[in-house]
Amino acid sequence: MSPLRSKAPRSREKRLDTLGAWLGPVSNASEEFAAEEVFQRIRTFAQSSHDDLLYALRIVSGIKDSVTIIHGPRGCAAAGLYHIAAGSSTRWIVTNLDERDTIMGADAKLRKAVTALHHRYHPAVIFIVGNPVVAINNDDIQSVVEELHEELDVPIVPIYTTGFSTQNAVSGYDTALHALLKYLSGKSSAAAKNGPVNLLSVAENALDRKEAHDLLEGVGLELNVLPDNSTVASFRAAITARASIPLCPDAPEYLGTILQEKYGVPYIDAPRPVGIEGTGRWLKSIAATLDIVSAADELHNRKASETLQQLSGFSLTGEKVYLSLSSANAFSLVSLVEELGGEVSGVTVTHLDRLHVRYLNELAARNPALQIHVSDGQEFEEISILRKLSLDLYLGDSTHIGQVARLGIPTVSLENLAIVGYSGVVRLARRIKTALLNRSFGTSLARSNPPYRESWYRRSDNWHIKQEVK
Amino acid sequence: MSHHIEDSRNSCALHGALQVYEAIEGVVPVIHSTSGCGVQHYLGGTRLSGGNAPFGSAPVSSTNIREKHVVFGGGSRLREQLKNSVKVVQGDLYAIVTGCSIEMVGDDVPAMAKEGLDQDWPVVYANTPGFRGDVHQGYQLAVRALIEQLPDIWKGASPAPAGLVNIWGIIPNQDPFWRGNLRELGRLLEAIGLVPNLLLGDGQDVESWKKVPGAAFNLAVSSWGELPARLLEERYGTPFISLAGLPVGTAAADLLYQLTGELGLDQPRIDAVIAREEARLSHQFARLADTYYRTGFQREFALIGESAQVVGIGEFLAKSLGLLPRLLVITDNPPDPVQKALVTRLNPIVPGYETDIIFSEDRAGIGASVRDSGAGIVLGSSLEQEAAEELGVPFLAVSFPLADRIVLDRGYAGYRGATALLEDLGSVILSDSYHQVV
Repeated sequence: MSPLRSKAPRSREKRLDTLGAWLGPVSNASEEFAAEEVFQRIRTFAQSSHDDLLYALRIVSGIKDSVTIIHGPRGCAAAGLYHIAAGSSTRWIVTNLDERDTIMGADAKLRKAVTALHHRYHPAVIFIVGNPVVAINNDDIQSVVEELHEELDVPIVPIYTTGFSTQNAVSGYDTALHALLKYLSGKSSAAAKNGPVNLLSVAENALDRKEAHDLLEGVGLELNVLPDNSTVASFRAAITARASIPLCPDAPEYLGTILQEKYGVPYIDAPRPVGIEGTGRWLKSIAATLDIVSAADELHNRKASETLQQLSGFSLTGEKVYLSLSSANAFSLVSLVEELGGEVSGVTVTHLDRLHVRYLNELAARNPALQIHVSDGQEFEEISILRKLSLDLYLGDSTHIGQVARLGIPTVSLENLAIVGYSGVVRLARRIKTALLNRSFGTSLARSNPPYRESWYRRSDNWHIKQEVK
Repeated sequence: MSHHIEDSRNSCALHGALQVYEAIEGVVPVIHSTSGCGVQHYLGGTRLSGGNAPFGSAPVSSTNIREKHVVFGGGSRLREQLKNSVKVVQGDLYAIVTGCSIEMVGDDVPAMAKEGLDQDWPVVYANTPGFRGDVHQGYQLAVRALIEQLPDIWKGASPAPAGLVNIWGIIPNQDPFWRGNLRELGRLLEAIGLVPNLLLGDGQDVESWKKVPGAAFNLAVSSWGELPARLLEERYGTPFISLAGLPVGTAAADLLYQLTGELGLDQPRIDAVIAREEARLSHQFARLADTYYRTGFQREFALIGESAQVVGIGEFLAKSLGLLPRLLVITDNPPDPVQKALVTRLNPIVPGYETDIIFSEDRAGIGASVRDSGAGIVLGSSLEQEAAEELGVPFLAVSFPLADRIVLDRGYAGYRGATALLEDLGSVILSDSYHQVV
């Protein structure tokens, strides 16, 4: 049976045992994933965090010449404004369901919106994104899609996110990518595999993507980049590619896997190209599959020595570093920090699953006591963890970085900092150097009141993480 | 019946309520909904209103309900979350706000809040599903919850100083200049001997809200502030006035005179205050005059924003600065009678000149109107910048969402706000003409 037959893929926790809440030494994490069953955890106190809908919106924000209709109440489209400010490629529409629609259903409203936007913009594709209200009401999006697809002759792609059926926002990437492949890539897997190589880039910084793109072109590859900054044609071309290269082993994993399983495009299992050595390993894995070993070696050696020169002796020797990032980013940065001579004192990752087992095993062998904290947006836990450590530097992409800096830890936000590839190392080093040289803003911040009670800090940091009772 | 919207700038009721509670020190909002509601608010609201969250961070206490809560109800999850919010997060008041999913499931939130009160936790609640309204309804629901529920938590009103005036109708972040606007209104009220109760923003806390019932007067500076003012009139007999918009420049004098009449204040003192403020403003005009004529300030403008901003800024530009209001777009969906009153007020703003007035929150529709207007300057949200660029005219970001301005203390209300507006407007016009030279 085709993996694309269902409306949506299985959630990450069902497919990969993904955990969204966990705390402990990396050796325990490694053991836990070695066991047959991984137990889900829940929180008895929680703070707001991303959901699958938000992650799906990130994917569609990168598709050019598209219109995105969020079929729900008005607030579910709020993040669209953020994406516009960040340079979104799609147009954001909300069907603006009111109370009556939540009782009677709103198929007519959806039909009207799709038709009106088709006539207004003549886009290459229209996305319909689900959310809690239509999921609870079980609105019939599918028949609207089928009817209007015939009538308007435009691809209409329904993305069945719900906001509550998975605990891990990262499932939203899978749900969106499932729908994109299903509706845009065609049914046949028979196409010849001689097209440009797919570069799978999911929710990446534009500069990171450019760096990866330039490196791969540098070893003579012709590329088809998707889903970031792509078009409908990119998805059609994707199934004729010689292979798929992930820019990260986590976010695009489902896309790469389905391209391989359903369409026969080989998926290259490559790490994230972060750090001099990490980027080298990434190039090496690609080169082995695509038979460009000498070009890749030559590029790596040249870039590595150039980068070392540009770093002009920059070192993190003696510095204790905390990392708080999306999972693949965090694990790749552990290596980079160590490469620069620093010591990683702890890591917070957004989620942990079978895709990370090899990193967990490596770390468990090297540094079994290293504490791993799994959290998306659970600032209260992270602050409590950080207060107990003596740290010289914090690298993170969370939205609560201002709170962290208040603790007096020099802080670098990676949310808008491109760290991929050789140029990424230099960029990151420069930013770290600046943060370590002048700590006055952290001192200024420390004067305002902290939000949590002292009694919370005296609790164990995993106090609110419990094993789920089924 | 509601209609689809492109790039809505009015978000939802839950987000409006969050904006109110986050603006009061010591109030801890507790979201009872799916996990993404709080992040949507942060990304699509907080980040685009010029400043940042009160704690300098995003996370809000949230039940993050899952499938089983949708099926079996989320009451027990809320009970657990509320208990632990009180234990973990410092606060004087915990405010439950609900999202769409939980309202569809039908959780009995008032009963949960009551349970909290029985434990001696200070808890209020507001049912704020997004399908029941936008940010403006959210503001009203949040404020109503405080007015109606606080007296049951702290029995007996706190003593209010004589001449206390509550200020209503400014919605945090939806008006990116809310802090500065409130502060300037407060300064002017103080100058004429009144005691302003700003209720939101720096230094405003639960104590400020305890004084609400004892105020001598309620001042609503947008039609959205009329609901709390009426509610307080019903409950405590407090008189109020309701303005259609922020008083900018000389309009502030009208407000001060109106308050003088309503509250029987000392006329010579008010005359002196206004004379001093007017003299300062006149001086600013005089200093601007050379640049004004040299760079051709006088032109047609398009102004896009909430009704209170459009009235306040639009009238100042038209009546004091000699600009022509080509197009006024009001984006906050005021109810029909308010729309009629706004049209009646704004249509004849410059005698002998026809002003187009549109009520819309749809970006495509607004963009088309701005392009068609042929205006010589555009004042609006960052969503209108593109249309201004296509017209090739200067653009000033004055309304939500703001993608490229930091607003910490700036405001456009009152006399000081008028000066700030002259600076900002003058700077974009001057910068435009400078860049045409180089």
